[in-house]
Amino acid sequence: MLKHLYDTDCVTWSPQGKLFQVEYAMEAVKQGSICLGLKSNDFVVLCSLKRQPSELAGYQEKQFKIDDHMAIAIAGLTADARVLCKYMRTECLEYKYTYESHHPVGRLVFKVAEKSQHKTQSGAKRPYGVGLLVAGIDPNGVHLFETCPSGNYYEYKCQAIGSRSQAARTYFESWFHLFEKSTLEQLILHGLSALKKAIMEDEELNEKNVEVGILGKNQKFIHLNAQELKDYIVKLETFNANTQIQQE
Amino acid sequence: MIFNSEFSGQQQHTTQPIVTGGSVIALAYKGGVVVGADTLCSYGSMADFKNVEKIAQVSKNTIYVSSGEFSDFQQVVRELAKIDRSALQYDDGVHPSPRDYGNYLARLSYKRRCKINPLYLQNVIAGFHNGERYLGLVDIYGTYLESNFVTTGFASYFCKAIISNYWNENCTLDQAKQVIRECFKVLFCRDCRAHDVIQLAYVDEQGTHIEQPERVETKWDFSGFKNRANEKLHTQ
Repeated sequence: MLKHLYDTDCVTWSPQGKLFQVEYAMEAVKQGSICLGLKSNDFVVLCSLKRQPSELAGYQEKQFKIDDHMAIAIAGLTADARVLCKYMRTECLEYKYTYESHHPVGRLVFKVAEKSQHKTQSGAKRPYGVGLLVAGIDPNGVHLFETCPSGNYYEYKCQAIGSRSQAARTYFESWFHLFEKSTLEQLILHGLSALKKAIMEDEELNEKNVEVGILGKNQKFIHLNAQELKDYIVKLETFNANTQIQQE
Repeated sequence: MIFNSEFSGQQQHTTQPIVTGGSVIALAYKGGVVVGADTLCSYGSMADFKNVEKIAQVSKNTIYVSSGEFSDFQQVVRELAKIDRSALQYDDGVHPSPRDYGNYLARLSYKRRCKINPLYLQNVIAGFHNGERYLGLVDIYGTYLESNFVTTGFASYFCKAIISNYWNENCTLDQAKQVIRECFKVLFCRDCRAHDVIQLAYVDEQGTHIEQPERVETKWDFSGFKNRANEKLHTQ
């Protein structure tokens, strides 16, 4: 493989027109544990699977509040995610200070994308090794965006990133036509169902390794607490995706 | 020109306005807000520029006027237009609301005040957004107020009584315009730097409407003037 001739830095193209360093950075995102997001007309729900480095350690959080109307879920290098999180929080704060209103979501994602792209066009820098799912509400409506180390960003109705996320995406492909009109509870159950598809055989969802965040038109971003998570995971057993109701 | 304010010996700080605009009066009415300003820019006590159209439309549903140093007004109009253009830059169709402009201007004015180099203005931002009318006042210090009626300059002294007697926030557009015309009539009589040609503009659900300048009615045919009754007394 001659890949190694063209993958030393970001400022070298391969003959096929690829930037290998950027592609390798996207691999780092695929190594992170899964996080997914889905939205209805009124709510966005973020679900993630938290990893525990060892039995002695706590679980690594994957969802961070940026502002009352915006939150992110991360997959990839947590340290890089911290940098972007801090940047987004600062931008929101400055916007609020100047205009006394919430930073438009798409605009902030654009700014993050600009920042990410900048790292892909310099000899001395490396791309961010983290993908973000950005959930937000603004006058334009309810949003879910994905950002990439490449500096691209996309808006989604629902999306999953991280390891084994294809299984969750397959679940979404079957059921996303229902999400627009789903209630919050149905949305959360769909999210957890998708998450369940993506875990390994010997793993199980519990209130410790699952993180669910919700955001709505009249709902500031909050995490579900341990008891609420337990209740939803129990409800998951009898949740029928097609009818979106509990079945015995 | 040196912009570093540490070298304050070389950079001038605004201490007095040179070319000034007159009072601004703005009222909310049922369905929008209406703003009136005269069309005079004074050079000290000289009525130098007599047909200046001061009411600036900064975005589709926001208008901005101010009284005070006219060059500062022109600069602020440019600054606010810059913000509106940011929607083009980010390609997201999100335009600032009138309140966003008001807050931005308050921050800008406060920053300049802190540098002891103020924007020598009393600003009025008026607009209509998401079914709600908006009227804000930002003064030379960066104080920010939202209200149903705002006045700047001499109007604050002479016109508040007229406004409270003849206006309420749910009156019609024509009633509100009439109140503003009355106020400018009084101002023309009592404010040395006022002018009898004014311009009205209103913002409602349909958007911004800036009208052509009009002359306020003034009455000079009092019998006292015509018959010069008082003059007779003085020659006795």
